[in-house]
This record gives sequence, structure tokens and C-alpha cells, in this order.
Amino acid sequence: MDPSIVDGPAADLLAHGVGSRTDLPLPLGLALYGAGAAILVGFVVLLLFWRTPKLGDGRSGRPLPERLQRAADSAAVRRGLQAVALAIAVLVVVAALAGPEETSRNLAPWALYVTFWVGLVPASLLLGPVWRVLNPLRLVARLLRPLAGAPRGAGRLPALGLWPAAVALLAFVWLELVPAGRTDPDVVAGWLIGYAAVQVGAALWFGEEWFAAGDGFEVYSTLLGRLSALGRRDDGRLVLRSPLANALTTPALPGLAAVVLVLLGSTAFDGLTRTAWWQSGPGAADDVGSGTFGLAASIALVGLLYLAGTRLSGRLGGLPLGSQPRRFAATVVPIALGYTVAHYFSLLALDGQTTWILASNPFGLAGVDLFGTYGNAVDLRAVPPDLIAYVQVGAVVTGHVVGVLLAHERALRLAPRAPASDQLPLVVVMVLFTVGGLGLLFGF
Amino acid sequence: MTGRARLLRLPAVLGMAAVLAAGCAGTDPDDGGSAAGGSTAPSAAAAAAPAEHAGHEDPERAAGRALAVDVSGGRVTGDTGRVPVELGERVTLTVTVDAADELHLHGYDLTAELVPGEPAVVTFPADIPGVFEAELHDAGTVLLSLQVG
Repeated sequence: MDPSIVDGPAADLLAHGVGSRTDLPLPLGLALYGAGAAILVGFVVLLLFWRTPKLGDGRSGRPLPERLQRAADSAAVRRGLQAVALAIAVLVVVAALAGPEETSRNLAPWALYVTFWVGLVPASLLLGPVWRVLNPLRLVARLLRPLAGAPRGAGRLPALGLWPAAVALLAFVWLELVPAGRTDPDVVAGWLIGYAAVQVGAALWFGEEWFAAGDGFEVYSTLLGRLSALGRRDDGRLVLRSPLANALTTPALPGLAAVVLVLLGSTAFDGLTRTAWWQSGPGAADDVGSGTFGLAASIALVGLLYLAGTRLSGRLGGLPLGSQPRRFAATVVPIALGYTVAHYFSLLALDGQTTWILASNPFGLAGVDLFGTYGNAVDLRAVPPDLIAYVQVGAVVTGHVVGVLLAHERALRLAPRAPASDQLPLVVVMVLFTVGGLGLLFGF
Repeated sequence: MTGRARLLRLPAVLGMAAVLAAGCAGTDPDDGGSAAGGSTAPSAAAAAAPAEHAGHEDPERAAGRALAVDVSGGRVTGDTGRVPVELGERVTLTVTVDAADELHLHGYDLTAELVPGEPAVVTFPADIPGVFEAELHDAGTVLLSLQVG
């Protein structure tokens, strides 16, 4: 084998896209306390918390200053930001193709899997749907619009709901977690170019609103942005409001549950691949077959549990079953987010340093050191393991608490007079998700 | 169980969790200190500097931990799988192969040339917490996962 590409198979043995380390297993005590707290909270919320809807709705929120609103809504600001994002994206793809061949020295895999994919989480939690504002593909589609003519499929877009985004996200998490060559810069470049081509093509056919329905990254960022304190009132006014109220304004579009379950299932699979059980058992072959199977099985398992929980709750309450899963999907986002933080916090804080080191010299040229960081070494001791463990348990338990609270409020809005026991199946499923997530972090 | 009984138990459990949290946080005071030092010094040499991790002067551990793996016909035997070692422990890893390759320990970024039949020895202080894979660079075979901490 050509020694210059050996980092591909080497790095892919780690659980996620790239990285030099994985977290220590969670201490048993912490895992148990986390699980205990999660179970307790589930039932305390059901029995003791508010008995009438309490959170604000789409009309709630404290308006932000007009000036801020004008800047955020300004087409010029958005095009400018998208142009910057496009320039960075092009640089990353060119670096992938023309930069150093070793994964450890190439900017692209680190920029995509760590800084962009994981960094999108804190950015969206803080600032709302940032990728909707920054999405460079929106600019590309806009520039190509005169050539393509009017969007002929625009009328059919609403019927698709968020299903296209679920497919796009599945394509990304499969790339991130399964194929052996996922860290090869060439593969990263090829995937990004292919993704951009498909997305821009679909946007030219369906119109620019395609991105809000079919671009996995934008839908992910928008979904996480609903857990920020920034939202839009029904009249379009930019407001500050409680993240809990904000989360419940998520439109229950068809496919929302699929998006959430792909996110949850793929993070569960990432956790699974770090356990000794998987590495020496079903995943021992470490090939595309076992990885694809594991990813599909993880998503199917969380999906079945979720469908069973929501449908059973709906049946108890006499609600229409068909739309039941998507009505509660937004309440599972905090649980998926808790997992994501638990699994990727250390990756962003530690291996994420690599992006800033390599950004100083994206093409690996002698003597180039743009930001004076190229000579730095990654400090894998920057975050002590105790802190990582507390962040992990804290994130999972917080996600669970918020998820259960949101589901409770949603249930009260749907059926104000229904007994709390109607919510039991969904609460039990949420407890299973959380205990399962802590179990994966503990390593079973 | 009544709602009142559940109400009473919640603060008790939270209180216990807080005690546990405080206890754990105090157990490893020198973790923060070690972060100040530069981390991985890329080393092509077979033996890294035998620097002892400050604060871990336990005489029993000074002897270090000897790990050995053999690779023959693609099969890995010896100390394979998940191998736990103490933070700060000195680790001596001996690797014997039947085909030329290169050893790479991720995170610590240690490498060593592997010549068939000649055991290669890498000695280093296990001073970065986490789980790190040691693998054959060319074949991509994972030899072991070093669990430090």
C-alpha cells in the first residue's frame, strides 16, 4: 500500500470520522446516578409538574431591536455571509484535492467532520438557524437561477416535508461513520462536490425553499436553533424567548420524526462502535457491510421504540395515530442533542484544534504559516477527563429533562383533560433512550 | 408509592449526586497542571524520554507496565483488545511482527519501524488520559486500545 494514504485505514478504526483518541468509559457511579436522575425526572414531571399548558406559543417572545432585525433580514448581509462561506467551502474542497495526501495533515477531513459538523451544534444553539443564513449553496443556486429558468417542481415541494433532509443526513452520517475511506481527502472532496451538485440541482428544480426541506445541514441547524433563545414570532418579528417555548414552535412537518431518528440513531451507533462489545463482536470485521448494518439497525431500533411510544400514547389518548410521531418529534431533539454533546464535545475541544493548525497552511507548502499556528501540536490534555465525564452525563440528563418537559407540555396542549398516564409510554421510551445512551458512554 | 414519597426522594438523590460530584472532582488535582505542558512530541525514535509524570511517584508504578503483542499471519496475540493502564504509569510496549510495517500509537503520536522477527520496544509515560489505538500503519491492523486513566 502506498504509505502516503495509510492514514485512511488507520484513522477509520476510530469510531467517528476523524480523531486521535476516544473518551474514557464513564465511571459506573456517574452513569448510575445519571440514569437514576433521568428515570426519577420522567415520573416527577408526569405527576407533579404543571397540569395546564404553560409555555408560550408562536406569538410569544420579547422583540429584538429593529436594527438587529433589519440586519438579520437584509438580503445583502445574507449574500455577503454566503459568499464568505462559499469561499471557505471552495478552499476546503481544493485543499482536499490539492493539499497533503495524509489525513493527519489535510485540512478537509478535520474541517468537515469536526469543525463544521460538530461546530454547527454550539453555533446553532447560540445563534439560531445559522446555516440557513450562511448556506453557500443558496448563493450558488441563486447565481445559477437565470440559466435554469423558473423552478418547475415548486408546487410539489411542500408534499415532501422534511423527508429529503432525512435522506441527506443519512447520506452524511453513513459517510462519517461507515466506509473505510471516509477520512481520505479525496473521498471528502468527492462527497462534498456530489452533495453540492445534488442539492443545487434539486434547488433549481424545486426553488430555493428546497434547502429548508432537503439540505440536511440546514435542517439540522434550524432544528437545533429551535433550542436557542432566538426565534421568530408568527408575524416574522425576531424575538428572544425561552428555548422551551421556542422548541415547541417547530412545525410538525412530515419527515420531522425521520430527521430526528436519523440523528439519534446515528449518534447511538457512533457510541456503539466505541464499545469493546461491538469491536470484538458484530463489528469485528470493521467493513462497509457490518458498519451499514450497525447504522441501519441502530436507527431502526430507536425508530421502532419511538414509534411504539408515540403511537401507544396516542392510542391511550384517542388521538389520530398517523401524525402522532411527528407531533412529538421536536420533543426528542433535546435528547438527540444531549447524546451529540456527550459524544462529540471532546472531539471538538481536542481534535478540533487540528483544523486551526492546518488552516495556517491548507496546501502544505514549505514556509507557509498564515496564522502562526502550523507548528503547534494538538494539546490532548486541554480538557481533563473528569470534566469530559461531567459534561457527558450533564448533557444526556439535561437533554432528557428538557425532552420530557417538552413532551409533557405538548401532550397537555393536544389533550388538556387527558390523564397523565396517557403520556407514560413516551416517557418510558425517553427513559430507555437516556439509560441506553448512558450505557453506551459507560461502555456496558 | 404516593406522590409525596417521590417528592421527598428527589432532593435526597440530587444531594447524593452532588456529594459524588464533589468527591470525584477532588481526586485528580494534577490533571489541570499537566495540561500546561506541551503535549505530543512527535517521535520517530523507538524510545521516548522516560520522563515521569509529576505527582505520580508511586514506587510500585515506577517499574512500569510491560505490554507485548505479536503479529503473525495477520493475527494479533498478546496484550490485545482494551488494555487499561494508570495515568502517569510508564508503559513499555514490545511489538513483534512477521512482515515489515510501522507501529503507530495515536494521540501520543509515537511511531517505530517494525522489522520481521526483531521485537521493537517503545517506552513512554502514559500521561495523556483517554483511549488510544496502537496500530500497524501499513496493514491498518489494530494491535490494542490503550485506555489511560
